[in-house]
Amino acid sequence: MKTTRNEKAKLSLVLSRVLAYGFIVFLCFLCLFCFILLVLMASKSNSQLQGAFSLRWGGNFLTNLKNAWNDASINIPRGMVNSFIVAMTSAVITTYFSALTAYGVHVYNFKGKNFVFTFIMAIMVIPSQVSAVGFIQLAYKFGLTNKLWLLIVPGIAAPVVFFYMKQYLESVLPLDMVEAARMDGSNEFRIFNEIVLPIMKPAVAVQMIFSFVSSWNNFFMPALLLTKEQYKTVPIMIAQLRSADYSKFDMGKVFMFILLAILPVMIVYMFLSRFIIKGVTSGSVKG
Amino acid sequence: MSEVTLKNVKKIYPFTEARKDQKTDAHRIAHLQITDEGVIAVQEFSLDIADKEFIVLVGPSGCGKSTTLRMIAGLEEISSGELYIDGEYMNDVAPKDRDIAMVFQSYALYPHMTVYDNMAYSLKIKRTPKKEIDRKVREAAEILDITQYLQRKPKALSGGQRQRVAIGRAIVRDPKVLLMDEPLSNLDAKLRNQMRAELIKLRKRINTTFIYVTHDQTEAMTLGDRIVVMKDGFIQQIGTPQEVYDHPSNLFVSGFIGTPQMNYFDARLEKEGGNYVVKVKDYKVVLDDEKQARLAAKGVEPCDVTLGVRPDNMVLGEGGIKGRVEVSELMGPSCHLHLDIDGKDAIAIVPTEGKAKDYTNMDVSLTFTGSVCHLFSKEDEHNLEF
Amino acid sequence: MKKAIKHRKSVSYTKWAYIFIAPFFISYTVFTLVPQFLTIYNSFFENYRNGLQQIGPNFVGLQNYVQLLTPDKTGTVDFLKYFGNAMAMWIVGAVPQFIIALLLAVLFTSARLNLKGQGIAKTIIYMPNLIMASAFSMLIFALFSNVGPINKLLVASGVIDQAFDFLSFKIPVRTIIAFMNFIMWFGNTTIVLMAGIMGIDQSLFESANMDGANAIHVFFDITLPLLMPILTYAMITSLIGGIQMFDVPQVITNGKGTPNMTSQTVIMMLNNYLSTSKNYGMAGALSVMLFIITGILSFLVFRTLSKQYKK
Repeated sequence: MKTTRNEKAKLSLVLSRVLAYGFIVFLCFLCLFCFILLVLMASKSNSQLQGAFSLRWGGNFLTNLKNAWNDASINIPRGMVNSFIVAMTSAVITTYFSALTAYGVHVYNFKGKNFVFTFIMAIMVIPSQVSAVGFIQLAYKFGLTNKLWLLIVPGIAAPVVFFYMKQYLESVLPLDMVEAARMDGSNEFRIFNEIVLPIMKPAVAVQMIFSFVSSWNNFFMPALLLTKEQYKTVPIMIAQLRSADYSKFDMGKVFMFILLAILPVMIVYMFLSRFIIKGVTSGSVKG
Repeated sequence: MSEVTLKNVKKIYPFTEARKDQKTDAHRIAHLQITDEGVIAVQEFSLDIADKEFIVLVGPSGCGKSTTLRMIAGLEEISSGELYIDGEYMNDVAPKDRDIAMVFQSYALYPHMTVYDNMAYSLKIKRTPKKEIDRKVREAAEILDITQYLQRKPKALSGGQRQRVAIGRAIVRDPKVLLMDEPLSNLDAKLRNQMRAELIKLRKRINTTFIYVTHDQTEAMTLGDRIVVMKDGFIQQIGTPQEVYDHPSNLFVSGFIGTPQMNYFDARLEKEGGNYVVKVKDYKVVLDDEKQARLAAKGVEPCDVTLGVRPDNMVLGEGGIKGRVEVSELMGPSCHLHLDIDGKDAIAIVPTEGKAKDYTNMDVSLTFTGSVCHLFSKEDEHNLEF
Repeated sequence: MKKAIKHRKSVSYTKWAYIFIAPFFISYTVFTLVPQFLTIYNSFFENYRNGLQQIGPNFVGLQNYVQLLTPDKTGTVDFLKYFGNAMAMWIVGAVPQFIIALLLAVLFTSARLNLKGQGIAKTIIYMPNLIMASAFSMLIFALFSNVGPINKLLVASGVIDQAFDFLSFKIPVRTIIAFMNFIMWFGNTTIVLMAGIMGIDQSLFESANMDGANAIHVFFDITLPLLMPILTYAMITSLIGGIQMFDVPQVITNGKGTPNMTSQTVIMMLNNYLSTSKNYGMAGALSVMLFIITGILSFLVFRTLSKQYKK
């Protein structure tokens, strides 16, 4: 009797495992399919793409890359540089000031401390689009369109990043440490820069990546603010591809543009995926 | 070369400043005086600390000892009163300008710096020349026997080693005053004993004034030149360990210092032929000359008292206080008898003298001499000798 | 021996707290709060461009709001229609997103199954979340366009005779957009929920097992109730994301909400007001409506969060 029950249980476990693996593999395939297709399509010449569908490697990858890179109407290298400038400085500014704000609220006792924390938590999920009208109007009024810094500086106030940093500080920074640094003779600013910031390195790194990615991918605001070709960022250029008459376009080149647009983030992700995934949750909601 | 003087120092935590940190947990302030201004954590704290003295502030949690230390450090504002270091008024001076160092309970080592950098940090801030920093750090490391760990990060050290680094970080600066906030409480019992001995050795090598906070009366007794016993924000007694042990100023101090705890009996103080005697039921003890003189000088009248006798002063003998042994613990050189005396618990320590004997469930009689009696007022619990 | 010792007013660091939080609040005021008030202010004015002619700004009271909520000749209120579009596309994507994420989270955390290769699986399913939405949309568009590879494949395999224009029919367009949202977000939700499940005291699961509960029981009696706060948080933020839906339909339909405005969202409407007609009045009124809706939802998020936070 005993053996059959045991075997039954074993069989059911194996069966559930097989089902679970099957399900997971299917979802992974779903996620990868489009992007595998993208790489394949980016390797084909326009005539190959006009012809019959095939999953074979086209062999025109480098040609497409060269054509896309040197395209006259879509200046993708310029776009990538612009995007990189905005994304990188945003990442630095957002994380630094969020950490600073979180530290200010975490360590000091001051009037309005609770209000500050409650306020930031309350505005955390209000989308930026709802104040876009005033923002755009002011930008036009003061002649600040086509200024990349206007996309960067608002990042000083990033409630979500603040919240993440605050939670992180609570778990890693004992107040004793701050007081020890005071006894060591450090001033408050130096304590933050030399003691606290290094301790927060993991959180800072994670948030820098997230800020970089969201800034790199940001479309709505830049599209409204950046009208001159030399200031456009990558997402605007990609959207321009769509409004162009694509039937006349070299489709191999189009796929290559798309590939170039997502490539930097993918490269970062390939190296840091585990770290990034860990960072998705540790700040948001405690379990 | 530093004297520290505190004059009538007081600390009030105002209600408006809702403090989240652990220093004033609700349950810890439960016994403290609460006024319109806020919760009083420390009051009437006056103390003269001599140069190179080792002072221990001791008391149960929430007694204000850490707050006092933090006020000396400059980490807490002094609500009223005065603080002098070397005769200089220091109330509003920033911690970094007070020339004092502190060892924190949690050690508060910077996790991203090596042991060396941890110890060098305060010197670096003062822009001490690199060579001198190196010399001082190595010297301190030598004293604390942590030279081989200098390039490690705190994470890679054991509790005892971290403790040493925390002390090392404090002593590299040659501070005028070295403050220690329960530095041994995070160590296990064995290591704590070891570190306690190390601290005594260390103290001889460093010329500085020590102010040490602990809740552990053994640490207080063994480390301090003088100890300050505190409770509910008030100083209860200041004195050498021996003084505090032999002449506790009140019931609280007598119970807090000394382990196992002092035994208490309801007793009556009377005068017989010009001499003070203390009676517990039928058992009568004539007090010794010293106590006679002290009580006479104070003009104490016969009254009901609480009599305190330390367990090691209780002797098995005829005609004493009767009790029943509930548990008999053999400790080696002595035997701890847990007694039931008229429904109250008491402990007596009796020597085994080489012959182990199980006293369990025996009825015994206990005596003591007139020199070991501590008499406390029934009204305000103060020691009648004072 | 004697050196100058600085005496300060007090041993208090309040000043530093204000210095440290000041940049945040200055930036928030300048770039969000002031624009927010200006947005509300705008909503009471007629202010737009008609060709080269600038109309307004003239104070018109609540007229912009009235116009926003007045049905046109065919009896539809554009704002409500677009809002409905976004919600319809959101829900079609969000239902599988949450069901699959829950299922995956349970599978990944199951001690009994003890699945291998979780790291790589999580890496893959989270990846679409980081992809530039506009680029992903352009890719999908290129793949599904009537000269694209999907049509080529379908024609070649004989499923259809001639190229099918996916993007000119309501159901395919909406399904594609919903599916993209699903692909982009289910990995993120899975990871959030996994963290939630792992935050639950493991002994609860063990004790439930000892009590004779099977996997289904454990899920509905232990996992789901204890996961509720996080699930609520994730759902509301997802809903707010749904209201904000822009990049994907904008690029897929080239900002036109084809066919027949059935994939037009409110933010696309806002974008049109801002970019082409410069109709700050209507854009303002629209923003205020969105602000109210997201404000209410934010309050719900805030409540779940502060409950979590107090624990």
